[in-house]
Amino acid sequence: MSNQGVLVTYSSSREFLATDHWKQVWAALLCQFPLRTLVWRGPGRSSQSTQTIQDLNVRIAPLESVKQEHTSQVPQTLLEKPLLNLYFVVCEDNETYKNTIKKQIRDWHTIISQRKYQEWLIVHIVRPEGRAAQQRMFQMKTSVLDKIKADFNLDKKDRCVQLVWASDFENPAAWAEFITKLKEGILAAFDSAFTQREAEMKRSEGQIQMPGWNFCTFFILKESLAISLEGINLFEDALEQYNELEAAFFKVVRDRNLSWFGSLIDPDPEDDSAPLLSTTRKPYRDLILGNTISIFDFRIYLLARQCILLSKLGRVAEICRRSEKFLTNFGRRLRELEDTLPEFFIESWIYSSALSVADTCDTWVSAVNLSKASQARYSALKGELMELAQQQLDIIGIRTGHLPSRPPFSIALSAPASRTTQSQRKSQTISRQELLAAISDRDALFDLYVTITNRAIEYYASAGRRKFAIKLHGNLAALDVVRDRLSSAFDTYKNLPAHYAPHGWTSLESFMRMQALSIHTSTEQAKDADWAHIVVDFLKAYVEDMGAELLMDVDDHKAYVTGLIESLRHAAAELQADMLYPDHPALSVTMAESEARLAQDQDGALLEVTVRNQLPCNLPVDEIVAVLAGHEGAQLTFSARVSSIQPGSTRLTLFCPSSTPGMFALQSSQVKMSRVVFERKEAKLAALSKTTRPKDLPALVRIPKDHHAVDVRLRPPKRIELGTPAYMTVSLQTGRNDISVATLRLVSPSGVQFHCQEAAIDEGGDNATLEAADDAIILRDVGKRQIVTVAVPHSDASSYHTLRVNVSIEYTTVTEPNLSRKLNIARFVATSLPITTNVEDFFRGTRLFSLFTLSTTSHQHVRIRSAELKPSRQDADSVSVVSCQSQKPDIVTVTPAQSGQFLFQLDTVRGKARDPMKLHITYRMLREEVESFINAAVAEIVADDPSLLPHRELLIDRLVEALSKSVDWIELYGVTGELVVPGNLSENSELASAFARLKEILGKPRPLNSSFDEWRDIIIPVDIPQMHILAAAQLRIFANPFSQQPSGQALPLFAGQPISAVVTVTTSFHWAPSEDAEMAQYLLRYDIQDMTGDWLVSGPKRGDFSAEDGSTFSSPVTLIALHHGELSLPKVMVNALPLPGKQRMRTSVIPSCETYQLHGAEKVMVLPRGGRTTYVVDMGREAIPA
Amino acid sequence: MPPQPRLNAVAFVSPQNHPILIRTFAQPRQDELKYHYIAHTSLDVIEERIASAQAAKSTECYLSLLYTMEDVAVYGYVTPLRVKIILALALTDAVVRDIDVIAIFKAMHTAYHLSVANPFLKVNMPLESVNDHAAMLSAGSAKWKAFRQRVDDVGRVMGASIPSSTSNASTQSH
Repeated sequence: MSNQGVLVTYSSSREFLATDHWKQVWAALLCQFPLRTLVWRGPGRSSQSTQTIQDLNVRIAPLESVKQEHTSQVPQTLLEKPLLNLYFVVCEDNETYKNTIKKQIRDWHTIISQRKYQEWLIVHIVRPEGRAAQQRMFQMKTSVLDKIKADFNLDKKDRCVQLVWASDFENPAAWAEFITKLKEGILAAFDSAFTQREAEMKRSEGQIQMPGWNFCTFFILKESLAISLEGINLFEDALEQYNELEAAFFKVVRDRNLSWFGSLIDPDPEDDSAPLLSTTRKPYRDLILGNTISIFDFRIYLLARQCILLSKLGRVAEICRRSEKFLTNFGRRLRELEDTLPEFFIESWIYSSALSVADTCDTWVSAVNLSKASQARYSALKGELMELAQQQLDIIGIRTGHLPSRPPFSIALSAPASRTTQSQRKSQTISRQELLAAISDRDALFDLYVTITNRAIEYYASAGRRKFAIKLHGNLAALDVVRDRLSSAFDTYKNLPAHYAPHGWTSLESFMRMQALSIHTSTEQAKDADWAHIVVDFLKAYVEDMGAELLMDVDDHKAYVTGLIESLRHAAAELQADMLYPDHPALSVTMAESEARLAQDQDGALLEVTVRNQLPCNLPVDEIVAVLAGHEGAQLTFSARVSSIQPGSTRLTLFCPSSTPGMFALQSSQVKMSRVVFERKEAKLAALSKTTRPKDLPALVRIPKDHHAVDVRLRPPKRIELGTPAYMTVSLQTGRNDISVATLRLVSPSGVQFHCQEAAIDEGGDNATLEAADDAIILRDVGKRQIVTVAVPHSDASSYHTLRVNVSIEYTTVTEPNLSRKLNIARFVATSLPITTNVEDFFRGTRLFSLFTLSTTSHQHVRIRSAELKPSRQDADSVSVVSCQSQKPDIVTVTPAQSGQFLFQLDTVRGKARDPMKLHITYRMLREEVESFINAAVAEIVADDPSLLPHRELLIDRLVEALSKSVDWIELYGVTGELVVPGNLSENSELASAFARLKEILGKPRPLNSSFDEWRDIIIPVDIPQMHILAAAQLRIFANPFSQQPSGQALPLFAGQPISAVVTVTTSFHWAPSEDAEMAQYLLRYDIQDMTGDWLVSGPKRGDFSAEDGSTFSSPVTLIALHHGELSLPKVMVNALPLPGKQRMRTSVIPSCETYQLHGAEKVMVLPRGGRTTYVVDMGREAIPA
Repeated sequence: MPPQPRLNAVAFVSPQNHPILIRTFAQPRQDELKYHYIAHTSLDVIEERIASAQAAKSTECYLSLLYTMEDVAVYGYVTPLRVKIILALALTDAVVRDIDVIAIFKAMHTAYHLSVANPFLKVNMPLESVNDHAAMLSAGSAKWKAFRQRVDDVGRVMGASIPSSTSNASTQSH
C-alpha cells in the first residue's frame, strides 16, 4: 500500500538497453508520469457511471525484477502485479527486424501473454528522418511497425505504438499517442483484474448462509478491492467498499454470528491511550486473517481505514463525526463488559481517542483549504469530541468521588448498571498518564477538566455553537462550586439565565438561578439586592413554567418556595433602596368591578380589585396599590395594607382617601413587600388601535361624586370694582370633615398669578383662621359642614373669558391627623364681566344727562336690581346726581335681546376738579338666582326634616340638572317668580316626597323683589365728561329786521317771502377742564345748515366770532321758505377754531366744543303765498211746488 | 426486524426557538436537566443543518442524527412551518435505520399538528399574532394537556415508560 500507483514493466533488447539512447528515452518516459485524467468505466457498473482518476502514479520496472509467483493465498491488491508490459523496439530496417528483433519480441511476447490480467504494448521508437523515409517509400514496402503489427497484434486491439524520438522529445504531442495507449492498456488490465476479483467477492458474498463461510476471509477479499481502488486514487469508491463492509459487519452482528472473531476486546496495555486512527499500530490484517482479531480492534481498523480515505478526500468533519459516533456507540457496547476491563478503561479509551482524533484531524486538515462553513462545522465537531472527552472526566470524577453525583456532572453517567463483583477485573490499569494522575489527584482532575472544557468552549465558539458553549460554562460553574470557588461560580450562574430567558427556556433559566441561590445560601452571604433579584427572577421562572417542568432537585417545591419567600421577605426589609420589578407574572391585580364605591363615613373611594397570586404559597406583602389615570393626567392612588396574599385569587378593597369623581382607567398596580415592589404597568392607553382586542382595552372604573367630601369652588367676587386689583373667591366646603389644616394652592395654566399673601377670609368659618403663605392658602380649624370663603387677589385676567385654575388641596382632618389627603381639581372661573355699559352724555348748561345702556355679554340672563351713579366723596357737595329711573319695576332683566337703560342727571358747580363718579350696579345672574332659590328651598325642607340632610346636595343637583334641560320655566319665572321644575324627578322613591315638597315650594308665586341670597355688585368708575365750550345755538324769527324782540306770537309766514331771523349763540365754559379754566375766550365759527329743499338763507350764513363764558353772539339773517308747509328751521353748527399760537405735536389745538340747538324741536308754519281760489257754491234750488 | 430504538425524550421547539414541550421518558427524574440541555443545544446544530439544507435547496424535514452524547443519540426534524422536533434516543451499538426515526418524527409531528389545529387555542390571543406560532403556543402552554397526552401516547407506543410524575405534575399545575 505504501508504494502507490500501478506497476508497469518494460523490456527491450539488451543492446538497446545499454545505449545512451535508451537512457534518454527512460528519462523522458519518467517525465510523463503521473498520468493525468484517466477515465474508467467503473467497477462493474453500468457504462453511464464513469470514474475519472485525476492522476495516477506509474511505477515502471524491468520485467525481470517483478516476481511472478504468488507468495500467499491471501488476496493482495490488484496493483501488486504489473498491469502492463512494455517492449521497446528500435529498428528501422526490415531486414534487421526479420532477422533478430522479431525473435526477441516473440520471446518476450510468449512470457507476457501467459500472464493473466496483464496487458502488453510494443513501442516502436523511430527517428524523425526514418519516419520521413518510410513515407517516401510507402508504396514500395511495408514499414517495420506494420510488420510488428502483423506479427503480434492478432486481435482488433491495437497494441503497437510508434514513438517518434525527435530532438524536441519533451513535446507532449510526441508522446500523446503513446500515453493514450499506455492509459488504455493499464485500464484494460485493471478492469479485467477488478472484474474478476469483484466476481470472486460477489460469489463469496452469496455464500454467507453456507457453512464454512468466513467473514474475515470475505473482509480481506473485499478489502483488496478497496485497497486497489485506493491505489488508483479512487478514494470515493474505496470508501464505499469499506462502508459496505461495515454494513456487512453489522448484519453479521445482528445475526449474532461472531465466531470469526476473537473476544469482543482483548485489551492491550496501551490500547486505552493509543491514537485511534492508526492502521499500523497492530498487524490488523494478519489478525483478521488469523480469525483472531477482537471486535474492538476490528472496529478500530475499519474506522481508521475509512477515516484515512476520508482524509484523502479532505472531509475532516466527516472523520470527526464518524469517530464520535463510533466512540459513543462502541463505548456503549464496551460498557456491557465493563467489569472485565481494567478500571476506567472505557473512559480512558474514549478520552484518548477523542483527543487523538482531534489532533490527527488537525494534522490532516492543514493540507486542505476548508471553506468557512466547513471550517465551522469542523470546529463544531471537534468541540463535540472535546465534550465527549470531558464527559469521560465527569464519569471518572464521579466514580472516584472527586465530583458529586448530581447534574450537570451526572448527565454523562448513564443509568447505573448492575455492578457485579470486582473479582473478574484484571489487574491491568489504564495507561493514559494524565488520567492516572486525575484519578489519584483531585486537583489534577479539575485542571484537566477545565482545560478540556475550555478547549471545547473554544471550538464551539469558533463554530458559532453558542448554546453548547453556554452549557459548558454552566459545567465550569458547577465545577467551581465543587472547587469551592463560590464567587466565580455565583457570577457565572448569575449571568447564565440571561442566555436562557429570552427564548423562554425557563426550565434551564430557573435551574441556573437555583444554583446561584443555593451557592448564595451556602456561602451565607448577606441577602442583598442581587440575591433578591435572583429570587424574584427565579419565582418568575417558577411561575411561568408552573413547576411541572422545573428542574429542581428539591423534593418539596412548595416548601422550598415558601422558604425562599420567607427569606425574601426579610431581605426585602433590609434593602437599601427600593427594588422595582416590572411585570412579574406571579402577581396580577385586576379590577373586580367597573364602579368604585364611596367610603361614606369619610372622604375617599373604595375600589374592589382581584389579586392573583400564582405562587403555591402565601406571599407576605405590605401593601397593594392601584393607580388609576383619568382625564387630563389626573391620577388616583388606591391602596390597601394587607399582610399576605393567598395562592389563587383574592378579592381586596383598596382605598383612596382623596378621590375625584369621573372615569378612570387602571394605569398600573403595585404589590409592595417592604422595599421590593412588583409593578405591573397596563398597556399604554395611547397605543390603542383598531386591532386591539376587547381583552386588551384598558380596564375602566367610574368613581361617583361624593357630596359630603371636601370641595373647593372658585367664584368671581361678589363685588367687582373696576380699577382696583382683581380677586376671586375661593370657597372651601368641608362636607363631613372636621378639617384641622387645609392647604390650597392655586395655579393657573394661563399664567395668572395669585397673591396668596394678601388673601383674606371673606365669610364663613366660625373659628377658621387663615395663614397666608407665599404660594398657598392655609386654613386651620374649619368645622364640619362649613363653607369658608377666601378672597384671593390675582393679577389681571381680563384678557380671558374664563380662567382655568388648577386647585390642589391638601388637608388633614381632626379624626385622622396622620392621613393627609390631596386633591387636584380643575376649576373654571368667569373673569369677564357679565354686563357691559355704554354711556351717552347730553350737556345742557350746567347740567348733564348721562344715559347708561347695560347689556349682557353672554347668553345668560342678568337680573339688575339697581344701578346708581354716585359722585365721589369730595364731590358730594359740588355734584348732585338725580336718577331718572322710575321705581317700577324694581328689577330689570337684561337678556341678550333686550338691554337695560338707566338715565341720570348731573348738576355741577363749575371749575372744581372732579373725581370720577362710580356707577354701582347690583345684579345677579339668573342662574345664580335660581340656584340660590333652590338652595333656600332645600334648606327649608331640610329644616323641616333633618333626615334629608345627607341628601341635600343630591337634591340640589337633581333640581339644577332638571332645570338646565329645559328653558320653558324662564319666562314664567321672570314675570311671576314661580319656578316650575320640569320633568319627573321622583324616580327615586326614597326622595319622592322631598321632591314633591320642593316643587311645591318653588312653584309658589313670589314677589319679584323678595330678597333671598345676595346680589352681586359691580362698580364701574365713570369720569365726568369735560367740554371746553358748550354752545347753545338758536335761530329766532323776528317780525321785521329791526325789532328787538322776537315776535311773541306766531307770525304769518308765507312761502317766498323773506323772513327776518337772528342767529344767537350763547357760549358757556362751565364744563371746561379745570386746567384750561384760565382761558377767557375762544374763537368760534358758526355755520347755518344748508336745507336747500326748504330754505334759502341770505346774510352771513357763516361767521367767526369770539366767545367768552356766558356771552351771547347774535347775527341777523334772512330766510326765505321755498315752499309751504310745516318746516323745521335750519340748524346752526358751531365749531371751535384752532387756538392761535398753540401747537401740540405740530397740529393746531382745537378746543372741544359741543353745540345744542335750542330750536331743535321748533317748527314754523309756512303759508302758501296769495293767489286766487275759486269756490263753487250751491246757489240753491227752485222752490218746491206746494 | 431490528429492535426499535428506545425513546428517551422528545422536545418541541417553536420557530422562534421557544420551547413548546419537553417530555422526558427516561426514568431518573434528574435526567430532566440533561434533556433540557439537549433540546437547547440541539438548536445550534439544527440551525447549522437548516442553513446547509437551504444552501442545497433541500426541503427535507428530517435532519438525521444531530449528535451523540454519552448514552443518547439526538435526532432533529423541522416541520414545514419550522417547528423543531428533537428526539433523544437511547444509544445502541446497532444501526438505527433512518426510516424508523422518521416514523417517530412523523408520529410526533402528527401529535403536534392535531393539537395545534384546535381552534380554541386562539381564543385568548391578541388579534395581530394569530399567525404567530409562539404566541399561540404560549397561549396553550401549561394548560395544553391534550398535546402532552398525544405525545405520551406516541411514547407509550415506543415502549417508553411514561413517568408517573405526569399525573402529579398536571395536578400541581394550577
